[in-house]
Amino acid sequence: MKYDVIVVGAGIAGMTAAIYVKRAGKSVLVLESVIHGGQIINTIGIENWPGDYGVSGADLAGKIYEQLGKLGIEVEYSEVETIEKTSEGFTVKTDDDEYSCGAVILAVGTEPRRLSEKQAADAGKRAVSYCATCDGALYKGKPVVVVGSGNTAKHEMKYLENIASKVYHIHHDEPIPKDAEAVFVAIGRTPNTKFVKDLVDLNSEGYIVAEEDCITSCSGVFVAGDCRTKQVRQLVTAAGDGSVAAEAAIDYLAKK
Amino acid sequence: MKDINEGEFEAEVLNYKGTVLVDFNADWCGPCRMFRPILQAFAKQHTDVKVVGVNIDDNDELAEKYNISTIPCLVVFKDGEEVARKEGVLPEKKILKMVEG
Repeated sequence: MKYDVIVVGAGIAGMTAAIYVKRAGKSVLVLESVIHGGQIINTIGIENWPGDYGVSGADLAGKIYEQLGKLGIEVEYSEVETIEKTSEGFTVKTDDDEYSCGAVILAVGTEPRRLSEKQAADAGKRAVSYCATCDGALYKGKPVVVVGSGNTAKHEMKYLENIASKVYHIHHDEPIPKDAEAVFVAIGRTPNTKFVKDLVDLNSEGYIVAEEDCITSCSGVFVAGDCRTKQVRQLVTAAGDGSVAAEAAIDYLAKK
Repeated sequence: MKDINEGEFEAEVLNYKGTVLVDFNADWCGPCRMFRPILQAFAKQHTDVKVVGVNIDDNDELAEKYNISTIPCLVVFKDGEEVARKEGVLPEKKILKMVEG
């Protein structure tokens, strides 16, 4: 199948980009490896998304997905493995299909940074979680440990203090307490960009290099959302990137 | 897709001849709520596979017995034996791959 634009990732940035591309009269396919919504699906109540105070991430994701449906936008649940530049545009290969398109918007987001090998070995068979609000309830009245030094770690600790019998706190290089039954990890996030490292320029942390115009080092490839080099990573800035990347992609196709 | 409790688990899952998908979930878990319609659609399309839900708040002993450390967690049983498990929301295609082994 051939599309004007393929959007990789159905988080807020990717879904917004698809809305703008479709409304400009171009054909668009969204490829998502897991589920639409991205990082927010684990958030219980969102208070900084205008117009829908306290909405859960899952519900917000569902609402935007519904909007895509109403606009006739296709979403395919497949993992993108490679993107190759061809003489006519791009070939996007997933784990079970192949598509071609004129332009690509990368909105692949970030994932939690994993425990170091040493700490993973230390954790052994104990549960390792990257989301206290998701998994905290499984450790009611049991000792747990939070790994990390940033705001997320503090937030996770506060949440777990109401559930667990004891909440240990350690930094990313410290040994895991013996009696902790679960390890909650909050040591930052890392972009899901390995599969495009030969296509576009990444910075030393793996973020796709682009200014506010969302234009990458590869002509015809645009980037939106948390996987871009930027200062503020929020739902609204992800949505903003989505529209900017879509306009840039449409402009690129018109000039081609 | 029906929800079962600890008391029904043996009859519905362990003593069942065939494939059962057990979705460990909770009401407060957003991803679980997103996973449910996917599982329901799967159950409709694959009538040879039984799909059941287990609420971990109401059935905490079962969750502990099966070492559920994060939800949603999908566990595949064949003739009462666990053969596969995966955590997180899965698209329909990946569920099928798990079932087919």
